[in-house]
Amino acid sequence: MPNPISQRDSFWNKIYEIAKDDRRIVIVSADMGAPALDRIRRDLPGQFVNVGIAEQNGVLVASGLAREGKRPFFYAIAPFAVFRPVELTRVNNAIMKIPITIVGVGAGFSYEDSGPTHHLLEDIAVMRAFPNITIHSTSDAAMAAAVAEQSCNWPVANYVRLDRQVLPDVHAQTQLDFKAGFAVLRPSKQAQLVATGYMVHKALQVADLLKKDGIDLGVIDLFQLPCDADALVKQIQTAPKLFTLEEHFLPGGLGSAVLEMLADRGAALPVGRFGMGNPGSYSYVYGGRETIHASYGLSPEQIAADVRKALK
Amino acid sequence: MNDIAFLEKKAYDLRKKVLDTCIRAKTGHVTSSMSCAEIMAVLYFGGILRHDPKRPDWADRDRFILSKGQASPMLYSVLAEAGYFDEAQLKGFAQKDGKFGVHLQQSVPGAEITCGSLGQGFGFAAGMALAAKMDLKNYMVYTLLGDGECYEGSIWETAMFASHQRLNNLVAILDRNYQCVLDFTENFLALEPFEKKWESFGWNVVRVEGQSVPALLDALHGLRSRRRPGPTIVIADTTKGAGIDFMSCVPLWHGSAPAGNEAKQAMAELERNTPNA
Repeated sequence: MPNPISQRDSFWNKIYEIAKDDRRIVIVSADMGAPALDRIRRDLPGQFVNVGIAEQNGVLVASGLAREGKRPFFYAIAPFAVFRPVELTRVNNAIMKIPITIVGVGAGFSYEDSGPTHHLLEDIAVMRAFPNITIHSTSDAAMAAAVAEQSCNWPVANYVRLDRQVLPDVHAQTQLDFKAGFAVLRPSKQAQLVATGYMVHKALQVADLLKKDGIDLGVIDLFQLPCDADALVKQIQTAPKLFTLEEHFLPGGLGSAVLEMLADRGAALPVGRFGMGNPGSYSYVYGGRETIHASYGLSPEQIAADVRKALK
Repeated sequence: MNDIAFLEKKAYDLRKKVLDTCIRAKTGHVTSSMSCAEIMAVLYFGGILRHDPKRPDWADRDRFILSKGQASPMLYSVLAEAGYFDEAQLKGFAQKDGKFGVHLQQSVPGAEITCGSLGQGFGFAAGMALAAKMDLKNYMVYTLLGDGECYEGSIWETAMFASHQRLNNLVAILDRNYQCVLDFTENFLALEPFEKKWESFGWNVVRVEGQSVPALLDALHGLRSRRRPGPTIVIADTTKGAGIDFMSCVPLWHGSAPAGNEAKQAMAELERNTPNA
């Protein structure tokens, strides 16, 4: 089995392969690189433009390029890709419906020791408020490549939140269903846990811990918002109890989105949400991502204990 | 009628359309539109923009991006005058069942973008100009900026970018009317020395009297031949509210339309100031 690679490298490797034959693809980088982007700069220099650390202009230039038929990928560190130009994204991409792909690297605490300026805990809430923008929250390298391929023809603007760390494969053998927008990794009739991004891996760990106690916790990777809400709610209703887990503040995040989908369809079942607080609080804890998570009470053991208690 | 006289009269015809439109709607940025009347007349009717009202999506048209989206009544009047849509639609401006509102929207034939957020259109225009370079297309991209929007940081991000990318197919016209909502720009936060700022960002800068048709024609003519490697900005010194004396240089007229006797007075002033072509 090949060593897993980062989502970033997987994403840009795929884009490089496609861009060789598809001149519409242009990378608009806020001074961010990657090995595959070095190859694009070397082999396809006309399809790479460095706008510098100027995210507002990055979104604007990408949108102008898209209006002329290009498929631009605007690339920056995620909090800056999302929040700095957000009002311009709103006008160009949500209101004017111009399809660009915003690629942010650094979901959640991926930049673990960089402090709260580089942590990303509000982006799902912000971006899912906009019509005409899809969020793709990737959990492994295979998914990142699949999302890259989809992005080249996605009908509306697309925000891709990539993790910075190399994570194990969970989707290498699966064909992702972009109509559904979620993948059932482990089915269960007892209880299910919906997670996204890095937290999908933690959800699998929690499920493993609970298995030892005879608890069968299902895991769903919700990787796209909006998703096929009818299908997701139908899936959720296959078990009587639901949990959500996100590396994000609770207001407006993944759990909120799931609650809305359930409520809008009159599906009543108990839901427990795990995330970085409600209201959230920013973290100055150092020593690695799991140390930070533990400070929020989100170690796998703690989550497993909370789930166990809720299921009693 | 010579070209200059024709365009000078055209600017006033456009002003009257704008005023009529805004008086009916009881809203709209009248003074922001008045200051750019000559600029718009020269661009659309003076042979600068290559465009075809019968084919708003013509691939080789020059692009015009109204970055100061508040002047939408002026662009709508221009587009109606040029034949992009029936002029009767102007009467529905910002009213029930109307096709368009106070700020520019891309659904109007001939309008390239939805605009009203300042500092937005300029970077979009730079993206369009870059696309033309990538695809070896000959179209030009013209964009009209307000001076007030030059307070936005995004303007300077784009200014730096466009000169570095040598976008000599990008022409910005800056409607330098010296006023924002509350006050004159130089009173509350100085924009000058404007030429030096743009020059230091790598732009070719031309400063002209912005209510002068010959000066504008002279500045805008021939840029298509691209004798210079970088983008060009024409800083057009104008008067906010030009053509209507009592609304000129009065900051608080921003974003509102005259009513009652003032409406009559405004139209009378435009009639009186219209040159006899």
